[in-house]
Amino acid sequence: MTPEANARAELLQLIDSKMNRTLKYYLDTCVRCAICKDACHQYVATGDVLYLPAYRAELIRRIYKKYMTGSGRLLPKLFEGRDPEDDVLLDELYKTTYACTSCRRCMFWCPFSIDTSWVLAVAKALLLATGRGSEILTQLADSAIDKGKNIDLYTGVIREVLKGSEEEMRRIVQDPSAGFVYDKQGADVLYVALAGTHTILPAAIVFHQAGEDWTLSSFEGSNYGYFLGDTVKAKAIAQRIVDEAKTLGVKEIVMSECGHAHRVMRDFYRMWAKEELPAPMVSILSKVDGYIKDGRIKVTPGKITEPVTYHDPCQIGRNFGLFEEPRNVVRATCSDFRDMTPNRQKQWCCGGGGGLVAETEFDDVRLKSGRLKADQIKATGAKILVTPCENCRLQIESLNDHYDLGVRVSAVLDLVVEAIEIKPR
Amino acid sequence: MDDIKVDLELDLKGLLCPLPMVRVSQNISKVPVGGVIRATATDPGSLADIPSWARSTGNEIIKQEQEGSNLIYYIKRIK
Repeated sequence: MTPEANARAELLQLIDSKMNRTLKYYLDTCVRCAICKDACHQYVATGDVLYLPAYRAELIRRIYKKYMTGSGRLLPKLFEGRDPEDDVLLDELYKTTYACTSCRRCMFWCPFSIDTSWVLAVAKALLLATGRGSEILTQLADSAIDKGKNIDLYTGVIREVLKGSEEEMRRIVQDPSAGFVYDKQGADVLYVALAGTHTILPAAIVFHQAGEDWTLSSFEGSNYGYFLGDTVKAKAIAQRIVDEAKTLGVKEIVMSECGHAHRVMRDFYRMWAKEELPAPMVSILSKVDGYIKDGRIKVTPGKITEPVTYHDPCQIGRNFGLFEEPRNVVRATCSDFRDMTPNRQKQWCCGGGGGLVAETEFDDVRLKSGRLKADQIKATGAKILVTPCENCRLQIESLNDHYDLGVRVSAVLDLVVEAIEIKPR
Repeated sequence: MDDIKVDLELDLKGLLCPLPMVRVSQNISKVPVGGVIRATATDPGSLADIPSWARSTGNEIIKQEQEGSNLIYYIKRIK
């Protein structure tokens, strides 16, 4: 075989290795009814066929049909068959695949429940194999892996800088002995925050008030290997937390307000690693809802009087199933809660998921497609927008400026800390 | 070390992870090989993110300092 034929055979083998029965079903079943056109925020906002979910999958389907189905092998032109090394196809595939936020709203609209984001996982594997993976997502994933290998270089200096936040915590909880807990063997909870202090301090205050036995992970929950579509890197990034949980012997892994981190730890790690987590993964939203219901913390009802609305992050709501727990917590803190329409399973993606807030090459579609969310927020008249996902918050901050929304963007735990009744210990 | 010639200043104050690292990555090509970016961040997450990014992309942090809540990185473009 020629080198070109060899390269093609390798790419086809890669695609074939990803083609389980479900994916073949997706590719064989789509009848191009285009119901998904009304589901995708990017297509609705731009009208560009590149963002039509059926078209995103169609690019992979053309390779699949030509090389992996009898009818396509016989009549490739009928199925618009394409080659996996076709530069034009790969350029288009890059733009549509890495622009997708994997919100899966299209799947809920599709009469066959075709999961386009799963088809795009094959597209990402093909793009990576042809040297066309997203450069910035690759860098973010590689730096997270590097951090995991060299964590001893960083823990001292990070903990030193966090002392200022610990001081703030002591002032708020009125306990001179309070502080962040590190490396606690056998703790009930391993809390996995995000890089920086903004997801650590509110959780530390809540854990302190709830009397929780907790310890702080040395690693952040975000996983850019997942957005990149590189399952080896994604597993390596998640593995850092799993190994830490094993070493410490914790009873629960509690994930901070980060959408994709919830799904990576609960749904994907076991697929990539072929092992179960060493301890159950629980959302911080469920924990705090439980603390309030059980009386372990008390918040002043209606403490926040400005109108508040809640954005369901796709990866926490539609794709993880947490709808009521965060609403319970938010409602407990405020007197004027206004849900957006539509909401829960049918909510619009904010437009910032899938790593898009880091991929500036997609800024145009990110901001245009965020218009639907901006309109929803405006319609509520809310002054505070709450959402438990870092990517959503970054995106909505961006929309706040771009569409002049005039809202304060907040995490759920930030509201809890505003409304909590401190019990001195 | 005090006379480092800075080719580009980046104000990353107030940006949260992963944006400080993303901005450094976006701007590194704006300085010549051997050139230096001085980036000022406030997110403690950058303490690991920016050095890890430098190491994994083959660039170099030649100096790092803290002034109050400002975390200052001198990043040399190596390639």
